[in-house]
Amino acid sequence: MHVPDGFLGPQTYLPAYGVAGVMWAAGLRRLRARLDAATLPRLAVVTAAAFVLMMITVPLPGGTTVHVAGIGMLAVLFGVWNAFLSLSLVFLLQALLFGDGGVTALPVNALAMGLVGSLAAVGAYGLLRRWSRDAALFAAGWAGTVAAALVMAGVLGLQPLLSHAPDGSPLFFPFGWKTTLPAVVLPHLAVGVADGALALLAGRFLAPRTAPAPPGRGPEAP
Amino acid sequence: MKDRALLLLYLAAIVAATFVHEPARLAAALAAVLLLSGRRAPRVLGRALRAAAPFAAAVSLGWLAAAWWEQRPAGAALLRLNLRVLLMTCLTFALAARVDLQRALGFSRTLRFALVLAVSQVLTFRRLHADFRLALRCRSPRRVSTATALRHGAATGAWFLRRAEHDAGEIAQALDARGFFLDQR
Repeated sequence: MHVPDGFLGPQTYLPAYGVAGVMWAAGLRRLRARLDAATLPRLAVVTAAAFVLMMITVPLPGGTTVHVAGIGMLAVLFGVWNAFLSLSLVFLLQALLFGDGGVTALPVNALAMGLVGSLAAVGAYGLLRRWSRDAALFAAGWAGTVAAALVMAGVLGLQPLLSHAPDGSPLFFPFGWKTTLPAVVLPHLAVGVADGALALLAGRFLAPRTAPAPPGRGPEAP
Repeated sequence: MKDRALLLLYLAAIVAATFVHEPARLAAALAAVLLLSGRRAPRVLGRALRAAAPFAAAVSLGWLAAAWWEQRPAGAALLRLNLRVLLMTCLTFALAARVDLQRALGFSRTLRFALVLAVSQVLTFRRLHADFRLALRCRSPRRVSTATALRHGAATGAWFLRRAEHDAGEIAQALDARGFFLDQR
């Protein structure tokens, strides 16, 4: 789902930068308006946590591994705007410091995972919260990942239609929706389960225990 | 100023690379980037190959298989795609690695502070994550089972979340004690 540079054409990433730019400005304005002793460090540290959570791989049957994205967890615990800014910052750092992802893919990754994924997660949580909070947390994690994968599959599948050579060969990502939708979305149905479990763990176990570590001491290592 | 100019140059080069579609020109641009990298060229190329290979290889093999099945040529499209991906990734490692992001993004005080805090935490967390992975390998005489890997992943994830909450509190107190939030008002 995390697309590198070179697979999205300018017809996609330039408008995406326009939309994402407006959203980043709105998010930063909200952040500045609410800036207090907790917001900024919390955003920065949550960004770092999201970064490292993406490094934790979960084994799947068959020998493959996937990694969680933490979209649902971030959205439910910290709100849509904070999750959007935090994930955008993660993608910026991954692209520029570690060469993972890319600057042309950054706005699409940020909008798909940070915004659409977060909105889907918060929506699923809001729908199911009154029925069962645990189910709502799990659904938030699953819905955030699957919604982001759906958007990403849609954007990737659009590339051969938007940019192709005179002989019809693709200039950027070569596969259409018939390939991208199953290839991207189906594995993320399983990744969503891991993300759902993470959101459940974070919401159920961690949120009520955010303050117990005594000053100057962090939690004990696993 | 130098960092911001370098970042703008990098972004312009990246955008330009998406408007060039002839494999020969993409190859020439790649060669130019590697030449300009000087002695760092092998390292830049190696890092770019490692970073781009998984996604690019999966897409290329899939496209190759589809072209073989449908009996149509795939060479030019594949060459163009892979040269472009490699050029853009090499540009990232050759140029962006020289940019001091905190200076380049200094136009927003809030963004710069968030970036400084996030990068410092990311570097710490990456090291700790590597430590935990090595610790699991050290205390496992045999290959780690799926169940153990799952438990370790969950415990590590939970630890990082709690550590993040803890660090956020500590950093907030440190910033507050130094009058950071008074300066912002």
